Amino acid sequence: MPSDGFFRNLGRVFSKKPPDLAEQSPAPKLDFILGAEPREKLDPWWWLVAVVVLLAVLLMAIKPDPYWNIFLFVRDGLAITVELTAISFVFIIIVGLFGGLGRIAKNPVIHFIATIYVEVIRGVPLLVQLIWWYFAAPVIIQDIGNIIHFDALANYRANPLFLAVVGLVICYGAYMAEIFRAGIQSISKGQMEASRSLGMSYMQSMTYVVLPQAIRVVLPPVGNEFIMLLKDTSLVSVVAVADLTRRGREFMAAHFNPLEVWTLIALIYLILTLVSARFIAWLEKKRKY
Amino acid sequence: MPEPIIHIENVHKHFGRIHALRGISLDVKIGEVVVILGPSGSGKSTLLRCINHLEVYDHGTITVDGTLLKTAKDINVVRREVGMVFQSFNLFAHLTALENLTLAQRKVRKRSKAEAHKVAMELLEKVGIVEKAHAYPAQLSGGQQQRVAIARALAMNPKIMLFDEPTSALDPEMIKEVLDVMLALAKEGMTMVVVSHEMGFARAAASRAIFMDEGQIVEEGKPEKLFSSPTQERTKLFLSKVLQI
Ligand SMILES: Nc1ncnc2c1ncn2[C@@H]1O[C@H](COP(=O)(O)OP(=O)(O)O)[C@@H](O)[C@H]1O
Ligand SMILES: [Mg+2]
Repeated sequence: MPSDGFFRNLGRVFSKKPPDLAEQSPAPKLDFILGAEPREKLDPWWWLVAVVVLLAVLLMAIKPDPYWNIFLFVRDGLAITVELTAISFVFIIIVGLFGGLGRIAKNPVIHFIATIYVEVIRGVPLLVQLIWWYFAAPVIIQDIGNIIHFDALANYRANPLFLAVVGLVICYGAYMAEIFRAGIQSISKGQMEASRSLGMSYMQSMTYVVLPQAIRVVLPPVGNEFIMLLKDTSLVSVVAVADLTRRGREFMAAHFNPLEVWTLIALIYLILTLVSARFIAWLEKKRKY
Repeated sequence: MPEPIIHIENVHKHFGRIHALRGISLDVKIGEVVVILGPSGSGKSTLLRCINHLEVYDHGTITVDGTLLKTAKDINVVRREVGMVFQSFNLFAHLTALENLTLAQRKVRKRSKAEAHKVAMELLEKVGIVEKAHAYPAQLSGGQQQRVAIARALAMNPKIMLFDEPTSALDPEMIKEVLDVMLALAKEGMTMVVVSHEMGFARAAASRAIFMDEGQIVEEGKPEKLFSSPTQERTKLFLSKVLQI
């Protein structure tokens, strides 16, 4: 449903500026005066990113034992954390989009299902949900396999990474659905009516008229969710996923240096979130029509 | 006598406990320009919105271009023949004027990009705004936006145009530019149903004026006749208020 057109419009929202606006504001030539860069060119908060990165690099350079060793050890965990965040986020957007559309659907069955989903999921802590998917869901799958005598299910072994993605997507999808619902509802009803009056279907109107405008509204809260997700992936360390946090715990267990391990781990998370925040701020500035 | 292109018979519409339309019957023939006036809340917008099924009526029948709306398999087929212009313009805010005109041509009429572009530019030319083709709605004045909105509806080659108070959100100096476009359209023989209190427009273009109050048609007739010698008390009262302004 959010077909080619939706993503094409999404691209447009991010990429295209109205030509008139661009012409009206010639950038002042202040590039050489420190601190006087035009705001839209250099985000002033990049300096914070630079400071934190510098701090982490200095630690590793000045005291490679243990900092560089810790970094080498947790590197694969860092990759897992980034992958987990990225993959989950794509599916969260999709679930959130359909959930949000379901929440505003006129069809009472769809509306009911979407509402139950959002209300139930938002009422249970993420950590409990992740544990449920890892420990409880496989039991259900095995029981079903036993009942229907289907060995592939009966012998199901929990795949930690897969179930972690499922848990994160289901949970964050519910919050994302509410963000999309609010974003869609913030677009004036007249936009949908004008579109329908031209003979476009409900789905066409959503895809080409309402959603491209809603993106502008939802981008800040969606960006927020991304950063929260990035941090909340640390919870998957309790359900057997070897992410950044779990690798940190493993290193600490072997070398008994909690101060160094958790300082560096904290710095790495901080760099990830700060960079994401800057990127989101840049996106927000970029798409203006 | 030709078949009416819009046939409305005893239509009722409720919003909860509000009885917005109370038995409206009205025929509009091809090429006719009908102006509807009446106090705020009398059901003018609701009637107009029922004609293209933006509002679902509870009782009665509406037939548009031979299709009975209640049983229409695909309401979008009816809607593409009925253009609508809103009080608040409702241009698509994320698209340029040109793109506002091409979107539905591409998606509904399935025209090629080049063809949609050509039709759009011709219409922008016609409403006198071709130099703003690449401007976004927020960069246009109210009068310009409304002219683009009219062009957007015309781009679908509708058989009927509905106007819901097209000039009442406009500053006085912009009203004329929009009315001129509507006047030209009427001269070309477009079938139009216009909710408006612009007496000048009604006198110049309308074949019929209709006065509505409390969800009913109170009185109708030739504009000059209705305005100068209304027979109903309610019409007289309303006209005396409107003409004072
Ligand atoms: N969507 C709606 N929900 C509830 N009441 C409505 C709605 N639309 C219109 N009404 C009511 O119906 C009546 C007629 O409204 P409307 O057709 O907009 O009148 P007009 O256009 O003549 O001012 C009014 O009492 C109005 O409050
Ligand atoms: Mg109205």
